[in-house]
Amino acid sequence: MIYREMGKVISNEEIAEGIYKTVFISPNISSSSIPGQFVNILPSLNWRNVMRRPMSIAGQGNDEISIIYKSVGEGTRIMANWAIDEKVDLIGPLGNYWEGYESSFPIIVGGGVGIAPILNLHDVLLEKQIDHCLIMGARHSGEHFFPHEPQNKVFLSTDDGSLGIKGNVVDILKSIYPIGKHPQNTKIFSCGPPMMMEEVRNYSHDNKLDCDLALETIMACGFGICQGCTVERKAETNGVHSYRNRFALACLDGPIFNAEEIISCV
Amino acid sequence: MRVKLKDIEFSSPLLTASGTYGYGHEVRDIADVNQWGGIITKSVTRHPREGNPSPRIAETRSGMINSIGLANLGVEKYCNEIIPLLNELQTKVIINIAGSAMKDYLETMEMLESKNGKHVGYEINISCPNVKEGGIEFGVNCEMTEQLTIEMRKRTDKLLIMKLSPNVTRIEDIAQAAESGGADAVSAINTVVGMAIDLKTRRPKLNTTFGGLSGPAIKPIAIANVHKVFKAVNIPIIGIGGIATAKDVVEFLLAGATMVQIGTMNYQNPNLGVQLKGELSEYYSQNKIEKTEDLIGKVEYHSN
Repeated sequence: MIYREMGKVISNEEIAEGIYKTVFISPNISSSSIPGQFVNILPSLNWRNVMRRPMSIAGQGNDEISIIYKSVGEGTRIMANWAIDEKVDLIGPLGNYWEGYESSFPIIVGGGVGIAPILNLHDVLLEKQIDHCLIMGARHSGEHFFPHEPQNKVFLSTDDGSLGIKGNVVDILKSIYPIGKHPQNTKIFSCGPPMMMEEVRNYSHDNKLDCDLALETIMACGFGICQGCTVERKAETNGVHSYRNRFALACLDGPIFNAEEIISCV
Repeated sequence: MRVKLKDIEFSSPLLTASGTYGYGHEVRDIADVNQWGGIITKSVTRHPREGNPSPRIAETRSGMINSIGLANLGVEKYCNEIIPLLNELQTKVIINIAGSAMKDYLETMEMLESKNGKHVGYEINISCPNVKEGGIEFGVNCEMTEQLTIEMRKRTDKLLIMKLSPNVTRIEDIAQAAESGGADAVSAINTVVGMAIDLKTRRPKLNTTFGGLSGPAIKPIAIANVHKVFKAVNIPIIGIGGIATAKDVVEFLLAGATMVQIGTMNYQNPNLGVQLKGELSEYYSQNKIEKTEDLIGKVEYHSN
């Protein structure tokens, strides 16, 4: 079931440099969403552009949902200025969700604007007491809002070395888990900028690790109508045209895809 | 607000534009599909089509450009999987058909005709700008438009609507060809050829370089084309292009449209049909409009 409801903003804060977290009261979406899913948001009731803005859900429960986003464009700038009690037009929950973490040792890897579904998964794993490793990347310390706690298997990276480990998330992966040195049943779950996910995809391929990636694409509707949010799969079409085999839809077939299923993250 | 096309009565002049409302069932959780005057389904072709590589869509000022490439599951699966869903709808259904060769269009229609679906008609896409074989060679050529219309007419007694492209020198000539071929109505306009470039990568924002521009940005182009067609043919016109409000609908009616289609703005508001129906009814009562016909083509020119 998909819902369209007016989410009431109960908090909207800058949690790190240019990165915002908004919490809505949105009972239907909250009670029906599963970690990994997203909502499609109308930034304002006067929104003149034709597309909504798809955003991963960062947390759900107690009639609330939260999103985390970077203020980068026209839409997210409006969102960063949402006032408390403002009503926001939301459609969701949409898309598929994280799976296969209960029977694995999850290494969850987030970066930049892709941290929302990773934090959501982190909370689920903590709640279910599933041993796991969290890795988050950013350009510099100002973009992080979490402590670097290697003793708790929480690792941060920064491009400039101002916090955590200098380098990117794959540098962390390589330093903690050199090739072949992974815990049994390791599975990687990742969401972040396309280049980062492509590196994670290559790393998991080289290490023969199962890996699921939450991809971000441009999207208009969010539920299979516009057919704009395609992700190319390694489909054996034998030259015969097929529908949604080679070009999957991120909104219905994703946003989470297995790393071996897709051609590329970029 | 009721309007008639041939002998079919629609509860309002508001239809969904092909490709912007799927097959009606995708939005059932969040919109009342049956409040529309009717829905026009996503194009179906003779064979399944995987569509174009990404990126397929890009947002532009007051609009978007798309190049989906007629991705669809093909008429065989359509007959088995989609027609039963369409038959459950309480609103009128018009099936949009696209093709490349005459044979494809005709076979697609024959297969749909053989299914005894509840659909009341067909809209024939002869104007897709995004695939080489998307029928646009029909849509820019009067003789081919007329010939295709004649052959389609022979195969159905249901409503036959030809969908026109604005990307031609004289849209009124194509409209007349559809009329003389026996079409019951024409719809106008399909998307306008557009292009956008990413400054960082210097690549076109669409994989296919060019795409079709839709949304409020094209409304004045659509109004002009509807009015040109209105002056050239005697069959009804279904106006399409950037409708977002009830006032937009009235503008199309004044320009000569009998009905309208709402497209791109459905993405922003999947329940726009219900909203516009209410707003339009309010407009009619505030302005003492008794029936839709009282508005059709009633634009008044400057007198000088």
